[in-house]
Order: sequence, then C-alpha cells, then structure tokens
Amino acid sequence: MLYPLASSLYHAFTKWDGLSPAKWDGLNNFRYMFFQDPTFWPSLRATAYFVLLSVPSGMIFGLALAVLLNRALTGVRIFRTIFYLPVVLPSIAVLTLWKYIYDPLYGLANEVLTRLGLPTSQWLQSPDMAMPSIVIVGIWGVGGSMIIFLAGLQNVPVELYEAARTDGAGPVRTFFSITLPMITPILLLQLILGLVLAFQAFNQIQVLTNGGPGTSTLLFMYKIYNDAFGSYPNLGLATAEAWILFVVIMIITGVALKTSSMWVFEENQ
Amino acid sequence: MPVLWMISIALKPDSDILQLPPQFLPRTFQWSNFVNGPKEVNFYHLLGNTIVITVLSVFGAVTSSMLAGYAIARINFRGRSFWFYLFTFSIFVPGIVTLIPIQRLFFSLHLVDTWFPLFVPAFLGNPVFIFLARQYFMSVPRSIDESAMIDGAGHWKIFTRLMIPLTKPLWITMTIMSFQAVWNDFLNPLVYLNSTQKYTLSLGMASFMGNLNQGSPEYNYYMASNLLYMLPPLLLFFFAQRYFMMGLGSLAITNK
Repeated sequence: MLYPLASSLYHAFTKWDGLSPAKWDGLNNFRYMFFQDPTFWPSLRATAYFVLLSVPSGMIFGLALAVLLNRALTGVRIFRTIFYLPVVLPSIAVLTLWKYIYDPLYGLANEVLTRLGLPTSQWLQSPDMAMPSIVIVGIWGVGGSMIIFLAGLQNVPVELYEAARTDGAGPVRTFFSITLPMITPILLLQLILGLVLAFQAFNQIQVLTNGGPGTSTLLFMYKIYNDAFGSYPNLGLATAEAWILFVVIMIITGVALKTSSMWVFEENQ
Repeated sequence: MPVLWMISIALKPDSDILQLPPQFLPRTFQWSNFVNGPKEVNFYHLLGNTIVITVLSVFGAVTSSMLAGYAIARINFRGRSFWFYLFTFSIFVPGIVTLIPIQRLFFSLHLVDTWFPLFVPAFLGNPVFIFLARQYFMSVPRSIDESAMIDGAGHWKIFTRLMIPLTKPLWITMTIMSFQAVWNDFLNPLVYLNSTQKYTLSLGMASFMGNLNQGSPEYNYYMASNLLYMLPPLLLFFFAQRYFMMGLGSLAITNK
C-alpha cells in the first residue's frame, strides 16, 4: 500500500514512457497538463459536469424510491427487488445492453420516443446528449443507494411520526421536518460515496463512448487510463494526473465533511 | 424493462434484428441462440477463466481481511492503530493512483498477461473489508476469548473455532461483495490481459460487442451470452438476498 503510493508520487515528477527508465523532470508534467495539454481542461469540465449531474440525481432518485418503498404495502418487497436488480448485474453486461438501447437506428430508446410521438435523438453520438445519456444509465442503477436510504429510513423512530400526525402535519410537511433531518447522516455518507465513485467513473466511458464525441464525455479517470495504457504511454504524465484526481477528491470530500456539521443531525447533540 | 428487451433480442431470429423499426417482441422464438451464441463468443472458455480468477480472489480477499481485521481488533501489538488508520485512509485513495505503479511492478516481474495480477493483490486484504471486519470483531464480547484463553486456546484456535462461527454474516457478506466485484471487474483485466485466450467474461463480452456493426444479426447471439454472464450474480442474489441487505445495511450503520 505504501510502496505504490510513494512510487507513484515520485513518478509524477518524472518523464517516463514505461520502456526506458524514468528520468527526473521536475514540474514539467504539471506544466504540460495545465498549459499545453489540449484535453486537460475539457476533461476536467466534462468531469465536473458529470459529477454535478449524476451525484444529485442519483441521490434524489434513490431517496424518492426509498421513501416510496418504505411502506407496508403488499408487493413492496417485490418492487424493492426489481429496483435493486440492476445493481446486481455485471456492469459490462448492463452497459453493452444500454449501448444497443441507445443505437439511433435499431435501439429501443428512439423506438419508445417515436411511439410516444416525441422527437428522437442521436443519444451517445450527439455531443449534447452523450453525457445525459450516460447519467441516465446511472439513474437506472440507483437501487444501491435506495437500499442504504431504506436502512436509514427504518431507523427513524416511529414516535416522531406519531407525534407529527397528532399535530396535524401532512405527508410533505412530515417529510421535510422529520424524515429529511433524521437521515442527514445517511445523506452525508451517500454524498461522499457518490462523489468518490463519480470521480472514478470509467467503465461507462470505455464501453459507451470512449470519451467522445469530441471531448464531451472525456472523464478525467478515462483520460488518465488513456495516457497510461493507451497507444502512446506517458506514465509520468498519467501518475501526475492521478495525483491531481486524488487531491481534487480529497478537497471536495473534505469540504463536504467540514460543512456537514451545519446540516447533519447528530443524535448526541 | 431494458432487461426484458434484452431477453427479447436474445430470442429473436437473425432477420428480426435487422428489422426497422425494431419490434419489442420476437415473431418467432429462436431458442438455439442460447446454444450458438455462447459458441460464437467463446463463452465457456471465458467462463472457466473467470471462475478460476474469481474463486482465488474471493478466497484471498476474505481470508486475509478476516485475519487482518481480527488482529487489529483483538491483538495488542505495536503500531496497531497506525495500521488501522492506514487501511481506512487507503479507502479514499483513487485506484488509479496505485494502479500505475502496481502495473509496472507486475510488468517488471514479467507477470503482465497472466492471471497473477488479478488475484494476488486480493491476498493482501481489502481495506473496506478490513474496516468492516474490525468493526464486527470489536462488537464481539471480550469475555468470550478471555475464557477461551484461560482454557489454553491461542489466537489461532480462538479465530478458527470461535470467531469464524460467530461472524458468519460478516464473511458471507464479504464473500458476496467480493464475488460481485471480481465477476464485474473490467478495468484490471483490461490493463493486464492482452491475449484473448486469457480474457475474462467482462473483457470478452465488451470486446465482442465492440466488434459488432450497427444492427448486426449477431446481436441475438451476443445478448443470449450476456444473459448467461448475468446469471451467476443473479442466482447468488436470490439465494443470499438476506445477507445482501444485511451487508449494505451494516455499511450504512457503521459509517454513521
């Protein structure tokens, strides 16, 4: 664990193609990245867009589903299972399936839109729609966060709901005054897990778009992979980029944790 | 819903795949896709590869993490909390930071394009599992191993005779989680394997799909094989559903 970390830190400052030995190169990797690499800033932009789109939507859909399925209705277990299933399936199987669904000619997505009388889309092949299409696949697999939210919802004391009902609070009011504050620790956990996973998203890109069209879905993680193991390996640059990713994740989760005391409800306060 | 469509493609005859606009239901059911499809993608060979790698990795990850978790929770030794914090910290390090040096390490050992890089790291423990195991072992009452020690049992005996039966939900959860992780793993095989003979299912399926042309009639073969690839995790899920939920629930609670 320590060896690869130390080795990777050292190599971030070297010129290294993986064949000849690494040569000390000072800050050149970072200089190249920030000022010369034509795909560095576009890929950061794509990553920010992806994170801002996928993390909140995943949390909102996950929580909404959990609230809907947290009732004692008949068949609720079956629905929980159905929504959880996509999480169990191998991501490659799921992603290749979605790639076919998004096929503009033979895919299901456009067929459904046509039947509903809506305009069709080029999906993954359109620079504007490619990223939203990838996020939709993620939302389809929202069952994982649903289960964690369910576990959280089941820990909310029933007395609180009873008290709210006797005070005459409606379902919306109850949700915002009781449920939401009581599950803020779970929200924080989900936010951090979601951020860490979103910054490292890779399979989607490799299977669905290869970063294209243009740089519209060139997530940073995919760029690092390409720089390290693609046709022109530049391992020094790739390790430097990996450290940038690490620092960005650290800063953002750090900010989330630091500000959490303002909105996370602690039981022992 | 997308999965239903997948089943439908898997059953369609070739002519239906090329039909425009696509129909939801196949006109005739071509069950033979489930026989010919796997042959086409070399499914059973890849399945064998995947099973070998999965069994070794799951065994490695579960045993080593159980042992490390036990040691950190139950044995007093120097640097105990240092190891604990190291493992916890490493959960947050993005995989790609360490992937590059580890890949070079295996490269210099001439182990790239073998299965070793895919299961050897599992034997070094999985930080998330070690964290979970430590939490779990901490919750087992101390008096149990104290009385065993008085009866003359050492740590090894306590671990194998007492802890393993007591922590059944823990290691079942770990087994399920690591099975899923390895079965679904794509990045590591992609980085380490070059020859198609050694591919895992995830890699084989992705590359076969990548080679298909738009609306190729072979999609029915592909989807039939893809369904077979999904089957083991699905069966596991249905048999171990209780533990699945428990494992995820414990993740939510330990992190509170």
